[in-house]
Amino acid sequence: MVRRVVLHLTLLGVGLGAFRVAVVPAEVCPAVTAARVEHVVDEAAAWLLRGLGEDGRYLYGYDRDADLVSPDYNGTRHAGVTMALYQYAAAAGHPEVVEAADRGLAFMLDGLLAEGEWQAWRSPGEEVELGANALLVAALVMRRQATGDEGYDDLMRGVGRFLVAQQQPDGSMHGYWNPSTHRSVPVQGKFATGEAVWALALLDGEFPGEGWAAPALPTLDYLARHRDRDMGFLTRMPDHWAAYALAELGPGALDEVRSAYARQLAGYFGIRLRFEAQRRGTGINLLVRWVPGTPAGVGTAGEGIAAIWRLAQEDPRLADLVPNVEDRLACFAGMMVERQATAAQALGYPRPGLVQGAWFYRGYVQMDDVQHTMAGLLAALPVLESREGGG
Amino acid sequence: MTFGLLLAAYLGATNVARSRLGVPEAAGGRARPGALVGGSLLTLGLVAALAGWSGPLLRALQITPETFRIGAGIVAVLAAAYVLIVPRPAAEPVPGGWWAALWPVCFPLLVGPEVVTMAVATGTREGVPATLVAAGASLVVLLALGALPRRPLTDRVLLWLSRMLGMGLLVAGLWLAVDGIRDV
Repeated sequence: MVRRVVLHLTLLGVGLGAFRVAVVPAEVCPAVTAARVEHVVDEAAAWLLRGLGEDGRYLYGYDRDADLVSPDYNGTRHAGVTMALYQYAAAAGHPEVVEAADRGLAFMLDGLLAEGEWQAWRSPGEEVELGANALLVAALVMRRQATGDEGYDDLMRGVGRFLVAQQQPDGSMHGYWNPSTHRSVPVQGKFATGEAVWALALLDGEFPGEGWAAPALPTLDYLARHRDRDMGFLTRMPDHWAAYALAELGPGALDEVRSAYARQLAGYFGIRLRFEAQRRGTGINLLVRWVPGTPAGVGTAGEGIAAIWRLAQEDPRLADLVPNVEDRLACFAGMMVERQATAAQALGYPRPGLVQGAWFYRGYVQMDDVQHTMAGLLAALPVLESREGGG
Repeated sequence: MTFGLLLAAYLGATNVARSRLGVPEAAGGRARPGALVGGSLLTLGLVAALAGWSGPLLRALQITPETFRIGAGIVAVLAAAYVLIVPRPAAEPVPGGWWAALWPVCFPLLVGPEVVTMAVATGTREGVPATLVAAGASLVVLLALGALPRRPLTDRVLLWLSRMLGMGLLVAGLWLAVDGIRDV
C-alpha cells in the first residue's frame, strides 16, 4: 500500500510542479515609481530625437548586435512617432520638444495633396494611406494641445474630410486612396480604421459642434461588430486605437454595444500583459513562454489598457474594471522600465546613442517599439502618481 | 460563474459516481460509512483551506486570480478527458479503520489536481461560502450514493454517471479558461 501512496503523491507533486512551470509561471511585475517612469520616458524621447534627421525623417530601425541601421521607412510609423513626440511634449511638459517634432511634421507637410474638399499626406513611395493621415491629424491635435497654436486647424479639418471620404456605408473605411485613379482602394488597413476613428474623435474634441463624432460612431460600431470577421481574424483584434477612440468619445457616446466592446478590449489587453509578465526568456520559461514580446506589441497593450482606464474613470458601467486595469498598468510600467536599454548597457555596443533609451526585441529596435512603449508609460503615469499619493 | 455551473464543476471535480466506485464497501454493498463520511469531511476541510487561503497563496505564487483561472480550467479539461477515457478508478489497497477515510477516499479518490486548483480558483472569485456550499453539496450527493445499496447502482450506471459528470467538468473547465482569458 505504501508503494501506491507514494506513487500517487509523486504523480500529484510532479503534476502540480509541471502546472506551475508550464501553465501558471509567476507573473513578475517589478515595482516602479512615477519618477523612474518619467526618467525612462525622457530617455525614450531622447532616443527618438537623436534619430531625427535634418530631412525630418526618424531612424527607422537599428540592429545593435550587427550595428546595422535599417534602410526601410514607413509613413504611418513616421506620423505615429511625430504624434507621440507631441503627446510627450503636452503630457510631460517639454515644450522644447515641439520644435524638433515640427521637423517631423514638416516632412509630412511637404507631401500634402488636395482633392475636392479634402487634403491628405502621401508618404514618399507609398499610396495615400488612411492610417498615416489619421495619425497626422492626431499629431496636429497633440501639437495644438501642447502649444495652443491654432495655425494648423484648417489642415486638421481638411485631412479629417479625407478620413470621412474613405468611409463606406457599413462604417468600414478603405485603407488607401490611389492618386492615379483618383479613387479609394477597397482594402482595409489592419490598424488604419481604428486610427481613423480616434482621429475623428480627437477632431470632435478640438472642434466641438462641428459634427466630427457623427462619422466616428458608425465606424466604431463597425469595429465592435464586424471588422474582425470581415478581415478574417479568428479572434478579436486588440485594437489600442479603438480603445483610444472609446476613451476620447467618453461614456456619453457609448451605448451598450460600445461599452461591451470596451470591456472586451480591456480583457484582451489584460491577458496580453499578464502573459507578458510571465515571460523571462531564459531556461524552461523560454520553452513555455518564449522570449519577451516585441516592445511595440507590449506598448500598444499598455496604451490600450490606459485608454480603458481613462474611460472607466468616467463610466460607472466599467468601474468594476478599475482595480485590475490599474494593476496591469503598474505591471506594464514595471516591466518596460526594467527592459529599457540603460546608458551603462549601451556602452557595450558600437553606437551607444542608438541603444540607450530604446527597447529591443532580439537585438533589434524599430521606431514604433519606442513610440508605443513611451506612449504607454506616459499614460501609466497618472495611475502610478495616484497610487503613490494614496489615491 | 452561476451557482449551477459551480455545482456542476464540483460534482465533476470530485466525480461522485467515479469516487463511489472506488469507495471501500461494507457487507451488503453499501459504502463503509466511517470511511466515506471521514473522507468527505477531510476533503471539505481541504477545499475550505485552499479556498480560504487562495488569495495569500496566489500572491505568494505571484499569480493573478484571472491567470490561475485559465490554469484551473486547463486542469479541469484534462481531468475530464481522463475520466471520459478511464471512468473507473484504479482499485487501491484499503487499510482498516479510520485510515480508509484518508486513503483511498480523501486521496486519491476525491482530492485530485482538479479539486485542488478548482478550490483555489473559485475561492478567489466566487468566494469561500459559495465554494463550500458547492463542494459540500457534491459530497452530500456522494454520501447519498454511498448509503444506497449497490443493486440499483450497478457498475454500468455509475460508469455512465461518471462520464456524464466528466462532461460537466469539461464544460466547467472550458468556461473557467475562457473566463480567465476574457478577464482583465
